[in-house]
Amino acid sequence: MIGTALPPLTVEITPTFVISAAIATRDFQDVHHDRDAAIARGSKDIFMNILTDTGLVHRFVTDWAGPRAFVRSIKIKLGVPCYAYDTLVLSGEVVEHDGDEMTIRVSGKGNLGEHIAGTVTVGGMS
Amino acid sequence: MNLSGATAIAGIGATEFSKDSGRSELRLAAEAVRAALADAGLSASDVDGLVSFTMDANAEIAVARELGIPELTFFSRVHYGGGAAAATIQQAAMAVATGVADVVVAYRAFNERSGMRFGQVSSAAAGQVNSSGVDNSFHYPMGLGTPASTVAMVAQRYLHEYGATSEDFGRVAVIDRQHAATNPAAWFYGKPITLEEHQASRWITEPLHLLDCCQETDGAVALVVTSLERARDLPNPPAVVTAAAQGSGPDQYIMTSYYRDDLAALPEMGVVGRQLWTQSGLRPADVDVAVLYDHFTPYVLMQLEELGFCGRGEAPGFIAGDTLTLEGALPLNPHGGQLGEAYVHGMNGIAEAVRQVRGTAVNQVRDVSHVLVTAGTGVPTSALLLTAP
Amino acid sequence: MTIEEDAARIAAQGESAPRLARDPVNPAMINNWLEALGDENPRYVAEGVAPPAMAQVWTMGGLNWQRTADDPLGAIITVLDEAGYTSIVATNSEQNYRRLLHHSEHVASTTKLEGIVGPKRTALGEGYFVTTTTTWYVGDEVVADMLFRVLKFKPKPTQSGVLRPVVSKDTEFFWEGMKAGELRIQRWGDELRHPPGPMPPDGDLDAKPDWVVASGRGTVYSYVVHHRPAVPGKKLPFVIALVELAEGVRMLGEVLDVASVHIGQPVEVAFVKVDDELTLPAWRVIA
Repeated sequence: MIGTALPPLTVEITPTFVISAAIATRDFQDVHHDRDAAIARGSKDIFMNILTDTGLVHRFVTDWAGPRAFVRSIKIKLGVPCYAYDTLVLSGEVVEHDGDEMTIRVSGKGNLGEHIAGTVTVGGMS
Repeated sequence: MNLSGATAIAGIGATEFSKDSGRSELRLAAEAVRAALADAGLSASDVDGLVSFTMDANAEIAVARELGIPELTFFSRVHYGGGAAAATIQQAAMAVATGVADVVVAYRAFNERSGMRFGQVSSAAAGQVNSSGVDNSFHYPMGLGTPASTVAMVAQRYLHEYGATSEDFGRVAVIDRQHAATNPAAWFYGKPITLEEHQASRWITEPLHLLDCCQETDGAVALVVTSLERARDLPNPPAVVTAAAQGSGPDQYIMTSYYRDDLAALPEMGVVGRQLWTQSGLRPADVDVAVLYDHFTPYVLMQLEELGFCGRGEAPGFIAGDTLTLEGALPLNPHGGQLGEAYVHGMNGIAEAVRQVRGTAVNQVRDVSHVLVTAGTGVPTSALLLTAP
Repeated sequence: MTIEEDAARIAAQGESAPRLARDPVNPAMINNWLEALGDENPRYVAEGVAPPAMAQVWTMGGLNWQRTADDPLGAIITVLDEAGYTSIVATNSEQNYRRLLHHSEHVASTTKLEGIVGPKRTALGEGYFVTTTTTWYVGDEVVADMLFRVLKFKPKPTQSGVLRPVVSKDTEFFWEGMKAGELRIQRWGDELRHPPGPMPPDGDLDAKPDWVVASGRGTVYSYVVHHRPAVPGKKLPFVIALVELAEGVRMLGEVLDVASVHIGQPVEVAFVKVDDELTLPAWRVIA
């Protein structure tokens, strides 16, 4: 299994996506839903919040691992911002496999480069 | 057909030179053109051609309306900032010599001190959507965005290659201010400077001091061109256009021709000079007065080299002593130049050349036959040789 | 008191008091989350459980949230703000989940300052990395935890306001290269050209240019020290050099972090990011 690549997940980061995911994760910081406020704070547009990053990574891995898989950890490093109108492509590869546990290295690249990089540990994979 | 000797400058006019004219640029243009026509003994209805700089904000038709010039058969603009100055006379001369027009007035009018100041960084120049804007994108965003800084880059290399010093630049400023000091029309009338004052003046862009840079001026100058034949019948002695030339050089840019082999040179002025000597049959030694465009002192030295008064890198030696004084071998800018009299984009220099030919200048050089006058440097440029009739 | 002493004091306070989630684990919020994230895993609805990645969602402060007095992240942010480290960016989130949470379980969280590291020079500016840990409980049982790291930094003097380039089809590759951290020089066959243009030296209309990525090394061919007047986006005085690159072409750029240079001075390229759309070439002297 080590070396197996996950099918990439492409997400169009529309303003609607940024805003609905921010609200669904109860993150009401204005930079995630108010373009004028985001620009006033020096960003070029509204951008995705971290809880959505974590959620998307979670979904990306379970889409592949199947509904019974249990995500034990999500460790991400944050890179360049992911703005509204970007296209985010998540890719991943199995890097460890120990008993029923797998570790997957994940990368999310947006229009400006690597937005997230990290690892996900999944159980129930025997 | 030969342009040399076919036409003459028959009239000169100007407004006062100030730091705040208190009136519109169009009003300044109209006043200067009217004064030039009066000097030529002509009226508005005699005029059928108008020429200016592309940078001038006053349309030919607006100037014509204000003065009651009924019909125009020729109107033209010359590009590249101050490089246009002498070329406006070339345009006028070509129009007259070919019969396209009989009387052409060249004008330049601006509130360059109280209005848009050229010495500041121009975001409009940087952002223009055309090939020049694309050119400018390789220096404006990097912070090289004032005329002084673009010249300083070349001046630094000149110092390096020829062992020249800032004092060599300063000697040009001292001569200009010495001449301006006795010219009542000059902004710096009565205010000469010493080389020590030049050296002590603050940095603008190293290696240029404040006193290496010309002043900023509100004002206007106009010049009337007609055929030599007609000019002979007018009140003032004609200043014969013996030669008139434009030039741009290899790999030419506006103020930033930094990519050609020899940075410490002005090959576009070399192009102009060769034409002047060919058209006129004259040599540098025949020039009695040099009115050299002096927005920044280093380019005065480099012009002397390009025009053949001395060899490459030899200008510091050439100007040492009293060469450039009114009694010297090559009197420079008897009106005080743009450092001393006023900055009217080189047009006040042409007016001075006419006065020197007529023998009516306030700082008159003795026995003047031929006057050389050049236009803006660092850009595609132009020059004239004016001769007494 | 130094920043380090303040941090030690805040860290010594340990965990903040538990903060109870507004709502117990519930299907409405789970469904909102699944819908927004596009997660179609049927297990959550079928079994009445929440996706593990929702752990933090339950205890988010919500629309009108204000930090509590004992919130350690708020306390250290105040300390760093006052020391001039006014900007913040999250750098790491590491979450561990112990088990699935079921409908009607009510989660509470506590947060603790683990420590700060700094001052560090970063791409964004000088700053401190602040690490906190958050633990989620149901009753006394730990159900999830998170290590969260932010960088609190002094923003570098920006070049915002610099005059922006006019980009044409002929020069686009250069500016794209800048964004990618590459100094690109136009190439027509064997011949390099800068600034770039649309025509090859031999005039062949069928020729197409490409580019080489320059080594970025060169020597100062000429330079100026600009003192006045003001230049948008630049702090006076500053140095601009015309550099002859090792590849043979000349290029202009600001020389960073020096008061002056000399002709012949070796330099190497630096990429000055103005914003997401614009990066400018600049130089650093090579010691």
